[in-house]
Amino acid sequence: MRDVAILGQGLHPWGKFNDKPVTELCRTATEAALADAGIKWRDVEAVAAASSRFSGGKGWGLNGNDLVEDMGSTGIPVYNMSAGCSAGANAFNVGHMMVASGQHDIVVVMGGEKMPKGFVQTSGLEDPTDPEYLRQRCVGLPGPGFWALLCRQRMAQYGTTEEDLARIAVKAHKLGALNENARFRKEFTMDEVLNSAMVNFPLRLYEICPVSDGAAAVVLCSPEIAKKAKSKPVWVASSAVATASFDDGIPRHIACTIGKGNPHHSEARIAVAKAMKSANLKPSDVDLIELQDNTVYYELAFPEEWGFIEPGTAEKWVANGDTMPTGKLPINPSGGFQSFGEATTAQALWQIVEVASQLRGEAGERQVPNAKIGLAQSLGLGGNATATVLRV
Amino acid sequence: MSTETIESAEGLFADTKNGPRLLGSRCVTCDTPYFPRSAGCHNPNCDLSKVEDAEFGPKGKIWSLSIQNYPPPPPVVIVDPFEPFAVGMVDLVEGLRVLGRIVSDTPDKINVGDEVELVLAPLGVDATGAEVISWQFRPI
Repeated sequence: MRDVAILGQGLHPWGKFNDKPVTELCRTATEAALADAGIKWRDVEAVAAASSRFSGGKGWGLNGNDLVEDMGSTGIPVYNMSAGCSAGANAFNVGHMMVASGQHDIVVVMGGEKMPKGFVQTSGLEDPTDPEYLRQRCVGLPGPGFWALLCRQRMAQYGTTEEDLARIAVKAHKLGALNENARFRKEFTMDEVLNSAMVNFPLRLYEICPVSDGAAAVVLCSPEIAKKAKSKPVWVASSAVATASFDDGIPRHIACTIGKGNPHHSEARIAVAKAMKSANLKPSDVDLIELQDNTVYYELAFPEEWGFIEPGTAEKWVANGDTMPTGKLPINPSGGFQSFGEATTAQALWQIVEVASQLRGEAGERQVPNAKIGLAQSLGLGGNATATVLRV
Repeated sequence: MSTETIESAEGLFADTKNGPRLLGSRCVTCDTPYFPRSAGCHNPNCDLSKVEDAEFGPKGKIWSLSIQNYPPPPPVVIVDPFEPFAVGMVDLVEGLRVLGRIVSDTPDKINVGDEVELVLAPLGVDATGAEVISWQFRPI
Protein backbone atom coordinates (compact mmCIF):
# COMPACT_ATOMS: atom_id res chain seq x y z
CA MET A 1 0.00 0.00 0.00
CA ARG A 2 1.27 3.48 -0.83
CA ASP A 3 0.54 6.89 0.64
CA VAL A 4 -2.41 8.86 -0.67
CA ALA A 5 -2.69 12.63 -0.92
CA ILE A 6 -5.66 14.95 -1.04
CA LEU A 7 -4.43 17.22 -3.81
CA GLY A 8 -7.52 19.37 -4.14
CA GLN A 9 -10.81 20.01 -2.40
CA GLY A 10 -14.01 21.87 -3.13
CA LEU A 11 -17.40 22.67 -1.65
CA HIS A 12 -20.66 24.06 -2.82
CA PRO A 13 -21.73 26.15 0.19
CA TRP A 14 -24.40 24.61 2.45
CA GLY A 15 -27.90 26.12 2.40
CA LYS A 16 -31.25 25.74 0.67
CA PHE A 17 -31.02 26.08 -3.10
CA ASN A 18 -34.48 25.49 -4.47
CA ASP A 19 -33.61 26.68 -7.97
CA LYS A 20 -30.53 24.50 -8.48
CA PRO A 21 -30.52 20.78 -9.33
CA VAL A 22 -28.21 18.61 -7.23
CA THR A 23 -26.02 18.01 -10.29
CA GLU A 24 -25.15 21.71 -10.29
CA LEU A 25 -24.08 21.52 -6.65
CA CYS A 26 -21.97 18.44 -7.40
CA ARG A 27 -20.34 20.06 -10.43
CA THR A 28 -19.51 23.23 -8.49
CA ALA A 29 -17.76 21.22 -5.76
CA THR A 30 -15.95 18.97 -8.23
CA GLU A 31 -14.75 21.81 -10.47
CA ALA A 32 -13.44 23.60 -7.39
CA ALA A 33 -11.57 20.48 -6.25
CA LEU A 34 -10.07 19.89 -9.71
CA ALA A 35 -8.99 23.54 -10.02
CA ASP A 36 -7.47 23.38 -6.54
CA ALA A 37 -5.54 20.25 -7.51
CA GLY A 38 -4.55 21.53 -10.94
CA ILE A 39 -6.00 18.35 -12.47
CA LYS A 40 -8.11 18.16 -15.61
CA TRP A 41 -11.32 16.13 -15.55
CA ARG A 42 -10.17 13.97 -18.47
CA ASP A 43 -7.20 12.81 -16.35
CA VAL A 44 -9.43 11.48 -13.55
CA GLU A 45 -9.25 7.68 -13.53
CA ALA A 46 -12.20 6.78 -11.28
CA VAL A 47 -15.01 8.30 -9.20
CA ALA A 48 -16.14 7.20 -5.76
CA ALA A 49 -19.39 8.98 -4.94
CA ALA A 50 -21.72 9.08 -1.97
CA SER A 51 -24.91 7.49 -3.21
CA SER A 52 -27.61 10.18 -2.94
CA ARG A 53 -30.77 9.29 -1.05
CA PHE A 54 -33.09 12.22 -1.58
CA SER A 55 -32.10 13.89 -4.85
CA GLY A 56 -30.82 13.23 -8.38
CA GLY A 57 -28.95 10.04 -9.14
CA LYS A 58 -31.72 8.91 -11.51
CA GLY A 59 -33.72 7.96 -8.41
CA TRP A 60 -31.22 5.15 -7.75
CA GLY A 61 -28.59 7.11 -5.88
CA LEU A 62 -26.32 7.18 -8.94
CA ASN A 63 -24.79 10.57 -8.17
CA GLY A 64 -21.40 9.49 -9.45
CA ASN A 65 -22.90 8.59 -12.82
CA ASP A 66 -24.66 11.95 -13.03
CA LEU A 67 -21.34 13.64 -12.28
CA VAL A 68 -19.50 11.73 -15.01
CA GLU A 69 -22.21 12.52 -17.58
CA ASP A 70 -22.17 16.16 -16.54
CA MET A 71 -18.39 16.62 -16.45
CA GLY A 72 -17.79 14.56 -19.60
CA SER A 73 -18.16 10.82 -20.15
CA THR A 74 -14.71 9.29 -20.31
CA GLY A 75 -15.63 5.68 -19.64
CA ILE A 76 -14.08 5.62 -16.15
CA PRO A 77 -15.36 3.34 -13.36
CA VAL A 78 -17.86 4.84 -10.91
CA TYR A 79 -18.63 3.53 -7.44
CA ASN A 80 -21.78 4.82 -5.69
CA MET A 81 -21.47 4.08 -2.00
CA SER A 82 -24.49 3.94 0.29
CA ALA A 83 -23.98 4.20 4.06
CA GLY A 84 -26.62 6.60 5.37
CA CYS A 85 -25.02 9.77 6.68
CA SER A 86 -21.61 8.09 6.50
CA ALA A 87 -21.81 7.75 2.72
CA GLY A 88 -19.40 10.61 1.95
CA ALA A 89 -16.57 9.12 4.00
CA ASN A 90 -17.48 5.60 2.94
CA ALA A 91 -16.87 6.77 -0.65
CA PHE A 92 -13.66 8.44 0.52
CA ASN A 93 -12.55 5.10 1.96
CA VAL A 94 -13.11 3.41 -1.41
CA GLY A 95 -11.34 6.21 -3.27
CA HIS A 96 -8.45 5.97 -0.82
CA MET A 97 -8.14 2.21 -1.35
CA MET A 98 -8.12 2.59 -5.13
CA VAL A 99 -5.14 4.95 -4.97
CA ALA A 100 -3.36 3.23 -2.05
CA SER A 101 -3.55 -0.12 -3.83
CA GLY A 102 -1.99 1.31 -6.96
CA GLN A 103 -5.04 0.57 -9.06
CA HIS A 104 -5.51 4.25 -9.93
CA ASP A 105 -3.36 7.37 -9.62
CA ILE A 106 -6.06 10.06 -9.69
CA VAL A 107 -9.52 9.55 -8.16
CA VAL A 108 -12.34 12.03 -7.49
CA VAL A 109 -14.46 11.48 -4.39
CA MET A 110 -17.73 13.40 -4.40
CA GLY A 111 -20.93 13.72 -2.38
CA GLY A 112 -23.91 15.98 -3.00
CA GLU A 113 -27.44 16.03 -1.67
CA LYS A 114 -30.55 18.18 -1.72
CA MET A 115 -32.79 17.48 1.22
CA PRO A 116 -36.60 17.51 1.17
CA LYS A 117 -38.39 19.88 3.53
CA GLY A 118 -39.26 18.74 7.01
CA PHE A 119 -38.52 15.44 8.66
CA VAL A 120 -36.15 12.87 7.33
CA GLN A 121 -38.23 9.71 7.12
CA THR A 122 -35.53 7.20 7.82
CA SER A 123 -37.02 4.48 5.65
CA GLY A 124 -40.21 5.88 4.17
CA LEU A 125 -41.46 2.30 3.91
CA GLU A 126 -44.85 1.29 5.28
CA ASP A 127 -43.76 -2.26 5.86
CA PRO A 128 -44.44 -4.00 9.19
CA THR A 129 -41.26 -6.03 8.74
CA ASP A 130 -39.21 -2.81 8.56
CA PRO A 131 -37.97 -1.94 12.06
CA GLU A 132 -37.84 1.78 11.29
CA TYR A 133 -41.51 1.71 10.34
CA LEU A 134 -42.36 -0.15 13.54
CA ARG A 135 -40.50 2.43 15.62
CA GLN A 136 -42.65 5.24 14.21
CA ARG A 137 -45.91 3.33 14.01
CA CYS A 138 -45.83 1.59 17.40
CA VAL A 139 -44.05 4.29 19.44
CA GLY A 140 -43.39 7.48 17.48
CA LEU A 141 -39.83 8.73 17.78
CA PRO A 142 -38.36 11.03 15.11
CA GLY A 143 -34.60 11.71 15.17
CA PRO A 144 -34.59 14.60 17.64
CA GLY A 145 -36.55 12.49 20.14
CA PHE A 146 -33.96 9.73 19.82
CA TRP A 147 -31.11 12.19 20.47
CA ALA A 148 -33.07 13.65 23.40
CA LEU A 149 -33.37 10.26 25.06
CA LEU A 150 -29.61 9.73 24.85
CA CYS A 151 -28.97 13.24 26.16
CA ARG A 152 -31.41 12.85 29.05
CA GLN A 153 -29.64 9.64 30.03
CA ARG A 154 -26.38 11.57 30.16
CA MET A 155 -28.02 14.21 32.36
CA ALA A 156 -29.03 11.48 34.80
CA GLN A 157 -25.57 9.90 34.70
CA TYR A 158 -23.33 12.96 34.85
CA GLY A 159 -25.55 15.88 35.89
CA THR A 160 -25.33 17.64 32.52
CA THR A 161 -27.39 20.85 32.66
CA GLU A 162 -29.40 22.72 30.06
CA GLU A 163 -26.77 25.45 30.30
CA ASP A 164 -24.05 22.92 29.43
CA LEU A 165 -25.96 22.07 26.26
CA ALA A 166 -26.65 25.69 25.33
CA ARG A 167 -22.97 26.56 25.73
CA ILE A 168 -22.09 24.14 22.91
CA ALA A 169 -24.65 25.73 20.57
CA VAL A 170 -23.25 29.19 21.36
CA LYS A 171 -19.74 27.94 20.58
CA ALA A 172 -20.84 26.23 17.35
CA HIS A 173 -22.51 29.35 16.01
CA LYS A 174 -19.66 31.59 17.07
CA LEU A 175 -17.45 29.52 14.74
CA GLY A 176 -20.09 28.98 12.05
CA ALA A 177 -20.50 32.75 11.78
CA LEU A 178 -16.86 32.85 10.62
CA ASN A 179 -17.26 30.14 7.97
CA GLU A 180 -18.17 31.43 4.51
CA ASN A 181 -19.57 28.01 3.51
CA ALA A 182 -21.94 27.70 6.49
CA ARG A 183 -25.69 28.07 6.10
CA PHE A 184 -26.25 29.81 9.44
CA ARG A 185 -23.75 32.60 9.98
CA LYS A 186 -25.24 34.24 13.04
CA GLU A 187 -24.05 34.15 16.62
CA PHE A 188 -26.48 33.34 19.43
CA THR A 189 -26.36 34.27 23.11
CA MET A 190 -26.95 31.76 25.91
CA ASP A 191 -30.36 33.39 26.50
CA GLU A 192 -31.33 33.06 22.86
CA VAL A 193 -30.46 29.35 22.84
CA LEU A 194 -32.14 28.70 26.18
CA ASN A 195 -35.28 30.51 25.01
CA SER A 196 -35.49 28.71 21.65
CA ALA A 197 -38.38 26.26 21.29
CA MET A 198 -38.16 23.02 23.27
CA VAL A 199 -38.22 20.30 20.60
CA ASN A 200 -37.74 17.21 22.77
CA PHE A 201 -36.64 17.81 26.34
CA PRO A 202 -33.80 18.57 26.96
CA LEU A 203 -33.01 19.54 23.36
CA ARG A 204 -34.07 22.93 22.00
CA LEU A 205 -34.38 24.17 18.44
CA TYR A 206 -30.93 25.80 18.42
CA GLU A 207 -29.33 22.63 19.78
CA ILE A 208 -30.23 20.31 16.90
CA CYS A 209 -29.32 20.52 13.22
CA PRO A 210 -31.81 21.00 10.40
CA VAL A 211 -31.42 19.54 6.89
CA SER A 212 -29.55 21.45 4.17
CA ASP A 213 -28.39 21.16 0.57
CA GLY A 214 -24.68 20.95 -0.23
CA ALA A 215 -21.89 19.17 -2.07
CA ALA A 216 -18.24 18.35 -1.40
CA ALA A 217 -15.46 16.87 -3.51
CA VAL A 218 -11.78 15.96 -3.18
CA VAL A 219 -9.13 14.84 -5.64
CA LEU A 220 -6.99 11.95 -4.35
CA CYS A 221 -3.68 11.10 -5.97
CA SER A 222 -0.51 9.07 -5.70
CA PRO A 223 2.66 10.42 -4.00
CA GLU A 224 4.38 10.78 -7.39
CA ILE A 225 1.70 13.11 -8.69
CA ALA A 226 1.43 14.97 -5.36
CA LYS A 227 5.17 15.70 -5.31
CA LYS A 228 5.04 17.27 -8.78
CA ALA A 229 1.92 19.35 -8.02
CA LYS A 230 1.88 23.07 -7.26
CA SER A 231 -0.80 22.82 -4.55
CA LYS A 232 0.06 21.72 -1.00
CA PRO A 233 -1.07 18.13 -0.45
CA VAL A 234 -2.77 16.86 2.70
CA TRP A 235 -1.94 13.22 3.42
CA VAL A 236 -4.41 10.52 4.39
CA ALA A 237 -3.00 8.99 7.57
CA SER A 238 -5.86 6.48 7.75
CA SER A 239 -9.41 5.88 6.57
CA ALA A 240 -11.60 3.48 8.54
CA VAL A 241 -15.14 2.17 8.14
CA ALA A 242 -17.03 0.23 10.82
CA THR A 243 -20.45 -1.02 11.78
CA ALA A 244 -22.05 -1.44 15.20
CA SER A 245 -21.22 -4.30 17.55
CA PHE A 246 -23.67 -6.82 18.93
CA ASP A 247 -23.33 -5.57 22.52
CA ASP A 248 -24.27 -1.96 21.66
CA GLY A 249 -26.54 -0.51 24.35
CA ILE A 250 -28.65 1.86 22.26
CA PRO A 251 -31.93 0.53 20.85
CA ARG A 252 -31.67 1.52 17.17
CA HIS A 253 -35.13 0.19 16.31
CA ILE A 254 -37.52 -0.73 19.11
CA ALA A 255 -35.31 -2.75 21.47
CA CYS A 256 -31.78 -3.93 22.18
CA THR A 257 -30.15 -6.29 24.63
CA ILE A 258 -28.80 -4.97 27.92
CA GLY A 259 -25.47 -6.64 28.45
CA LYS A 260 -22.00 -6.18 29.82
CA GLY A 261 -20.28 -3.02 28.71
CA ASN A 262 -23.11 -1.93 26.48
CA PRO A 263 -21.08 0.68 24.57
CA HIS A 264 -22.95 3.53 22.96
CA HIS A 265 -22.41 4.32 19.26
CA SER A 266 -20.10 1.31 19.04
CA GLU A 267 -19.72 1.79 15.29
CA ALA A 268 -18.16 5.23 15.81
CA ARG A 269 -15.92 3.99 18.60
CA ILE A 270 -14.70 1.09 16.48
CA ALA A 271 -14.08 3.29 13.43
CA VAL A 272 -12.13 5.87 15.44
CA ALA A 273 -10.10 3.18 17.22
CA LYS A 274 -9.27 1.54 13.87
CA ALA A 275 -8.27 4.84 12.29
CA MET A 276 -6.12 5.87 15.25
CA LYS A 277 -4.38 2.50 15.41
CA SER A 278 -3.81 2.38 11.68
CA ALA A 279 -2.28 5.87 11.78
CA ASN A 280 -0.25 4.90 14.87
CA LEU A 281 -1.52 7.89 16.84
CA LYS A 282 -2.74 8.54 20.37
CA PRO A 283 -5.54 11.01 21.22
CA SER A 284 -3.11 13.71 22.36
CA ASP A 285 -1.54 13.70 18.87
CA VAL A 286 -4.79 14.94 17.32
CA ASP A 287 -4.92 18.71 16.80
CA LEU A 288 -8.60 18.95 15.87
CA ILE A 289 -11.74 16.86 15.44
CA GLU A 290 -14.70 17.32 13.13
CA LEU A 291 -17.37 15.07 14.65
CA GLN A 292 -20.97 14.43 13.72
CA ASP A 293 -22.95 16.87 15.87
CA ASN A 294 -26.53 16.32 14.75
CA THR A 295 -27.15 17.67 18.22
CA VAL A 296 -24.92 19.36 20.79
CA TYR A 297 -25.09 16.17 22.89
CA TYR A 298 -22.60 14.45 20.61
CA GLU A 299 -19.87 16.96 21.36
CA LEU A 300 -20.09 15.73 24.96
CA ALA A 301 -20.56 12.02 24.33
CA PHE A 302 -18.22 11.20 21.45
CA PRO A 303 -14.83 12.39 22.77
CA GLU A 304 -15.50 10.44 25.96
CA GLU A 305 -16.70 7.29 24.19
CA TRP A 306 -13.56 7.28 22.05
CA GLY A 307 -11.26 7.64 25.06
CA PHE A 308 -10.07 11.13 24.12
CA ILE A 309 -11.20 12.56 27.47
CA GLU A 310 -12.39 11.13 30.77
CA PRO A 311 -16.08 10.13 30.98
CA GLY A 312 -18.23 12.82 32.57
CA THR A 313 -15.76 15.65 31.98
CA ALA A 314 -16.80 16.95 28.54
CA GLU A 315 -19.00 19.69 30.02
CA LYS A 316 -15.95 21.15 31.76
CA TRP A 317 -13.87 20.99 28.58
CA VAL A 318 -16.52 23.02 26.79
CA ALA A 319 -16.99 25.51 29.66
CA ASN A 320 -13.22 26.08 29.85
CA GLY A 321 -13.04 26.80 26.12
CA ASP A 322 -10.88 23.72 25.60
CA THR A 323 -12.91 22.65 22.54
CA MET A 324 -12.45 26.03 20.83
CA PRO A 325 -9.85 26.31 18.02
CA THR A 326 -7.32 27.67 20.52
CA GLY A 327 -8.15 25.06 23.19
CA LYS A 328 -6.58 21.74 24.15
CA LEU A 329 -8.93 19.66 21.99
CA PRO A 330 -10.53 21.76 19.24
CA ILE A 331 -13.86 20.24 18.20
CA ASN A 332 -15.78 21.29 15.10
CA PRO A 333 -13.93 24.50 14.32
CA SER A 334 -16.07 24.57 11.15
CA GLY A 335 -19.16 25.42 13.22
CA GLY A 336 -20.35 21.84 12.83
CA PHE A 337 -23.68 20.49 11.69
CA GLN A 338 -25.22 23.11 13.99
CA SER A 339 -24.05 25.83 11.60
CA PHE A 340 -24.31 23.90 8.34
CA GLY A 341 -27.36 21.68 8.68
CA GLU A 342 -27.05 18.18 7.37
CA ALA A 343 -26.93 17.38 3.68
CA THR A 344 -26.95 13.72 4.82
CA THR A 345 -25.00 11.68 2.25
CA ALA A 346 -22.61 14.56 1.44
CA GLN A 347 -21.92 15.49 5.04
CA ALA A 348 -19.07 13.14 5.90
CA LEU A 349 -17.05 14.30 2.90
CA TRP A 350 -17.67 17.94 3.88
CA GLN A 351 -16.09 17.10 7.26
CA ILE A 352 -12.98 15.80 5.51
CA VAL A 353 -12.75 19.00 3.44
CA GLU A 354 -13.05 21.08 6.62
CA VAL A 355 -10.23 19.15 8.30
CA ALA A 356 -8.06 19.47 5.19
CA SER A 357 -8.65 23.26 5.15
CA GLN A 358 -7.42 23.45 8.73
CA LEU A 359 -4.29 21.42 7.98
CA ARG A 360 -3.53 23.67 5.03
CA GLY A 361 -3.84 26.66 7.34
CA GLU A 362 -6.66 28.10 5.25
CA ALA A 363 -9.39 28.32 7.91
CA GLY A 364 -9.06 32.06 8.52
CA GLU A 365 -10.40 33.25 11.86
CA ARG A 366 -11.41 29.67 12.74
CA GLN A 367 -7.88 28.39 12.27
CA VAL A 368 -6.52 25.92 14.82
CA PRO A 369 -2.97 27.20 15.40
CA ASN A 370 -0.30 24.95 13.91
CA ALA A 371 -2.73 22.12 13.07
CA LYS A 372 -0.87 19.08 11.73
CA ILE A 373 -3.23 16.14 12.40
CA GLY A 374 -7.01 16.12 12.20
CA LEU A 375 -9.78 13.54 12.65
CA ALA A 376 -13.14 13.49 10.86
CA GLN A 377 -15.88 11.15 12.12
CA SER A 378 -19.32 10.26 10.82
CA LEU A 379 -22.27 8.16 11.96
CA GLY A 380 -24.88 6.84 9.55
CA LEU A 381 -28.18 5.01 9.57
CA GLY A 382 -27.88 1.25 9.75
CA GLY A 383 -24.98 1.23 12.21
CA ASN A 384 -22.48 2.78 9.79
CA ALA A 385 -19.54 4.89 10.92
CA THR A 386 -16.32 6.23 9.46
CA ALA A 387 -13.19 7.85 10.81
CA THR A 388 -10.60 9.60 8.67
CA VAL A 389 -7.27 10.92 9.92
CA LEU A 390 -5.45 13.50 7.83
CA ARG A 391 -1.98 14.97 8.34
CA VAL A 392 0.44 17.42 6.79
CA MET B 1 -65.01 9.30 15.92
CA SER B 2 -63.13 6.06 15.62
CA THR B 3 -65.22 3.01 15.03
CA GLU B 4 -62.51 0.37 15.11
CA THR B 5 -59.67 -0.53 17.45
CA ILE B 6 -56.53 -2.09 15.94
CA GLU B 7 -53.06 -3.11 17.11
CA SER B 8 -50.12 -0.89 16.11
CA ALA B 9 -48.56 -4.00 14.55
CA GLU B 10 -49.52 -7.64 14.54
CA GLY B 11 -47.78 -10.18 16.72
CA LEU B 12 -45.73 -7.77 18.83
CA PHE B 13 -47.77 -7.85 22.04
CA ALA B 14 -50.69 -9.66 23.69
CA ASP B 15 -52.96 -9.37 26.67
CA THR B 16 -52.17 -12.77 28.22
CA LYS B 17 -53.82 -14.41 31.23
CA ASN B 18 -50.90 -13.01 33.24
CA GLY B 19 -51.37 -9.50 31.86
CA PRO B 20 -49.81 -7.52 28.98
CA ARG B 21 -46.65 -9.00 27.51
CA LEU B 22 -44.28 -8.23 24.64
CA LEU B 23 -43.87 -11.14 22.23
CA GLY B 24 -40.29 -11.88 21.30
CA SER B 25 -37.69 -14.60 21.19
CA ARG B 26 -34.89 -15.93 23.33
CA CYS B 27 -31.84 -17.83 22.17
CA VAL B 28 -31.82 -21.32 23.68
CA THR B 29 -28.01 -21.36 23.66
CA CYS B 30 -26.83 -17.94 24.84
CA ASP B 31 -30.08 -16.71 26.44
CA THR B 32 -30.10 -13.42 24.48
CA PRO B 33 -33.61 -11.89 24.41
CA TYR B 34 -35.02 -10.34 21.23
CA PHE B 35 -37.96 -8.04 20.61
CA PRO B 36 -39.67 -8.26 18.21
CA ARG B 37 -39.36 -11.95 17.38
CA SER B 38 -36.14 -12.94 15.66
CA ALA B 39 -35.64 -15.78 13.20
CA GLY B 40 -32.17 -16.44 14.60
CA CYS B 41 -29.65 -15.32 17.19
CA HIS B 42 -27.53 -12.29 16.25
CA ASN B 43 -24.81 -12.91 18.82
CA PRO B 44 -21.61 -13.45 16.78
CA ASN B 45 -20.23 -15.62 19.61
CA CYS B 46 -23.23 -17.94 19.53
CA ASP B 47 -22.79 -20.83 17.11
CA LEU B 48 -26.14 -22.58 17.35
CA SER B 49 -28.44 -19.63 16.61
CA LYS B 50 -31.61 -21.37 17.71
CA VAL B 51 -34.35 -19.26 19.21
CA GLU B 52 -37.72 -19.96 20.80
CA ASP B 53 -40.73 -17.74 21.46
CA ALA B 54 -40.60 -15.75 24.69
CA GLU B 55 -42.78 -13.24 26.52
CA PHE B 56 -41.33 -10.12 28.16
CA GLY B 57 -42.65 -7.76 30.81
CA PRO B 58 -44.30 -6.27 32.73
CA LYS B 59 -41.62 -4.88 35.09
CA GLY B 60 -38.96 -2.38 34.14
CA LYS B 61 -37.13 0.84 34.96
CA ILE B 62 -36.88 4.08 32.99
CA TRP B 63 -33.43 4.29 31.33
CA SER B 64 -34.32 7.61 29.75
CA LEU B 65 -37.34 9.63 28.72
CA SER B 66 -38.28 12.71 26.74
CA ILE B 67 -41.37 14.66 25.79
CA GLN B 68 -42.51 14.76 22.16
CA ASN B 69 -43.61 18.40 21.99
CA TYR B 70 -44.61 18.63 18.35
CA PRO B 71 -46.75 16.37 16.13
CA PRO B 72 -44.58 13.98 14.09
CA PRO B 73 -45.82 13.03 10.60
CA PRO B 74 -47.46 9.63 9.85
CA PRO B 75 -46.97 6.77 10.39
CA VAL B 76 -46.67 8.14 13.97
CA VAL B 77 -50.13 7.85 15.56
CA ILE B 78 -51.25 10.90 17.54
CA VAL B 79 -54.45 12.28 19.07
CA ASP B 80 -56.37 15.08 17.37
CA PRO B 81 -55.92 17.82 18.51
CA PHE B 82 -52.28 16.93 19.19
CA GLU B 83 -51.15 16.59 22.77
CA PRO B 84 -47.47 16.22 23.70
CA PHE B 85 -46.59 12.72 24.86
CA ALA B 86 -43.75 11.13 26.81
CA VAL B 87 -41.45 8.57 25.19
CA GLY B 88 -38.97 6.43 27.02
CA MET B 89 -36.36 3.74 26.81
CA VAL B 90 -37.22 1.18 29.48
CA ASP B 91 -34.95 -1.55 30.86
CA LEU B 92 -37.03 -4.68 31.37
CA VAL B 93 -35.93 -7.14 34.03
CA GLU B 94 -35.53 -9.77 31.27
CA GLY B 95 -32.54 -7.84 29.87
CA LEU B 96 -34.16 -5.84 27.09
CA ARG B 97 -34.02 -2.07 26.59
CA VAL B 98 -37.32 -1.25 24.89
CA LEU B 99 -38.73 1.95 23.37
CA GLY B 100 -42.25 2.89 24.34
CA ARG B 101 -44.53 5.75 25.19
CA ILE B 102 -44.95 6.59 28.86
CA VAL B 103 -48.53 6.87 30.13
CA SER B 104 -48.67 9.73 32.62
CA ASP B 105 -50.58 12.93 33.30
CA THR B 106 -47.44 14.38 34.91
CA PRO B 107 -44.51 13.29 32.70
CA ASP B 108 -42.39 16.17 34.09
CA LYS B 109 -42.30 14.34 37.42
CA ILE B 110 -40.92 11.07 36.03
CA ASN B 111 -37.22 10.45 36.50
CA VAL B 112 -34.59 8.13 35.10
CA GLY B 113 -34.60 5.01 37.28
CA ASP B 114 -38.33 5.14 38.10
CA GLU B 115 -40.12 1.80 38.04
CA VAL B 116 -42.74 1.21 35.36
CA GLU B 117 -45.02 -1.56 34.16
CA LEU B 118 -46.10 -2.62 30.70
CA VAL B 119 -49.63 -1.65 29.64
CA LEU B 120 -51.58 -1.83 26.38
CA ALA B 121 -53.13 1.56 25.68
CA PRO B 122 -54.29 3.71 22.76
CA LEU B 123 -51.76 5.93 20.94
CA GLY B 124 -54.42 7.90 19.07
CA VAL B 125 -56.21 7.62 15.76
CA ASP B 126 -54.46 6.74 12.50
CA ALA B 127 -55.14 7.93 8.94
CA THR B 128 -57.87 5.30 8.46
CA GLY B 129 -59.76 6.59 11.51
CA ALA B 130 -58.98 3.51 13.59
CA GLU B 131 -57.98 3.77 17.24
CA VAL B 132 -54.47 2.26 17.52
CA ILE B 133 -53.43 0.28 20.59
CA SER B 134 -49.75 -0.27 21.39
CA TRP B 135 -47.47 -1.31 24.22
CA GLN B 136 -46.68 1.55 26.60
CA PHE B 137 -45.22 1.93 30.09
CA ARG B 138 -46.92 3.31 33.19
CA PRO B 139 -45.08 4.48 36.30
CA ILE B 140 -45.83 2.30 39.33
